[in-house]
Amino acid sequence: MTDAPHKRPAFEPASELLKPVSRDPEMKRPPSTFAGVLLVLLRVLAGLVVMAGILLNWRNTLREVDLSIEGVESTPEVAEAALIGVVIFLGVVLIVDAALALFILIGHNWARVTVMAFSVISITGAFIQWWSEDQEITITGSLLTLGLDILILLALSSRSAAAYARRKERL
Amino acid sequence: MTDEPRRRRYSIGVAIDWFFFVFAGLAAVWLAYLSFTETFNVGWWGIAVAIAFWVLLAYLVLPRLHRILTTVYVPDYFIGRARTSDGLLGDPVNLAFLGEADQIHAAMGAAGWTQADEVTLGSSWRIVTSTLTRRSYGEAPVSPLFLFSRQQDFAYQQEVDGNPAQRHHVRFWKCPDGWLLPGGSRVDWLAAGTFDTAVGLSLFTLQVTHRIDADTDIERDHIVRTVTAADVRVAITMLKDFSTGYHARNGGGDSIRTDGDLPIVDVRATTEVTA
Repeated sequence: MTDAPHKRPAFEPASELLKPVSRDPEMKRPPSTFAGVLLVLLRVLAGLVVMAGILLNWRNTLREVDLSIEGVESTPEVAEAALIGVVIFLGVVLIVDAALALFILIGHNWARVTVMAFSVISITGAFIQWWSEDQEITITGSLLTLGLDILILLALSSRSAAAYARRKERL
Repeated sequence: MTDEPRRRRYSIGVAIDWFFFVFAGLAAVWLAYLSFTETFNVGWWGIAVAIAFWVLLAYLVLPRLHRILTTVYVPDYFIGRARTSDGLLGDPVNLAFLGEADQIHAAMGAAGWTQADEVTLGSSWRIVTSTLTRRSYGEAPVSPLFLFSRQQDFAYQQEVDGNPAQRHHVRFWKCPDGWLLPGGSRVDWLAAGTFDTAVGLSLFTLQVTHRIDADTDIERDHIVRTVTAADVRVAITMLKDFSTGYHARNGGGDSIRTDGDLPIVDVRATTEVTA
């Protein structure tokens, strides 16, 4: 009877849930990872559309910016500099976002965790504004970007996407 | 167990994953609520938004919530039932096999069964095209079910008169080394065979799924009959009343009933394993 399998306790300790996942370097890319990458790229695309809108209507946007900056002395030069700064910042964010999508695609866990962390921050911010400041979230307004963020988080946090990102981790 | 190098008992990375997993579930509930309320604000577009709401609820929100809750309350040891990818109880385990994988492949092939493709983008696309063109797809993949926390190793199926909605199918799982059935019998493989009767909307998960025939014993006996008829060297040992006869529902909400017998199909004598 020495080779009889060990008996297991009838309950499962909570630490069982935190066991490292099994290592499987040969794992194929699951659809959830692919969907997550597509959604991130969709977010980049949406950002590019916004940026194109600013660049094509440069003068109109400039006038709005001119009106909305308060406190500082609002000259056309200051407004233009601010707008250029915003466009450059947006461009950098989009490039970083696209790069993260590629790193998720080839299966880097840090990229997945980074994207999820920013999604959590953005979702939490939207929720606080909706809950305590009664900001409306409508389909023509922020529902689409919020939905994109939540879908990205759902896809990348799924167990198959997590297993793929951690497929090379040592136990 | 004791010979293995000492491994970490827990992983902080996995804990972080759990945080994101649960947070995403809660956020998805909120998104479903938002899109539901928005349904009434956009006129005729509300129909499209309502469909989006249903897809969101049935395929993303409910599975995630089931996954979180079943992790808490459904035991993960062997209870004679496979589990769906959401952790719900699925088809009953109603067959056991003795033998190597190659011998099972040979026995099932000789008995007129076709191995199911794995679920990939390619095979999913083929399901869509074969449904639209009404062509048969004999190797159509089966949905994943889990036993021993693992997806099935392979699955076999038989088409019914080229009807894509109906099919016989059986999933196979390799037992862990040294694992014994309740009662002490040693088997190499466990299998769950059910008969798909139609494609329909499950009122349980709200998803479009195959409905299965309630009397799973008919399918079990059909598998045993086809395999034994194809090769006389296949031996059957019946574990009478392995589980008590029961009525239950599977993960799609279809009722199932069984007398609880478990046939052990011994294919070890069929072919020499070429190592």
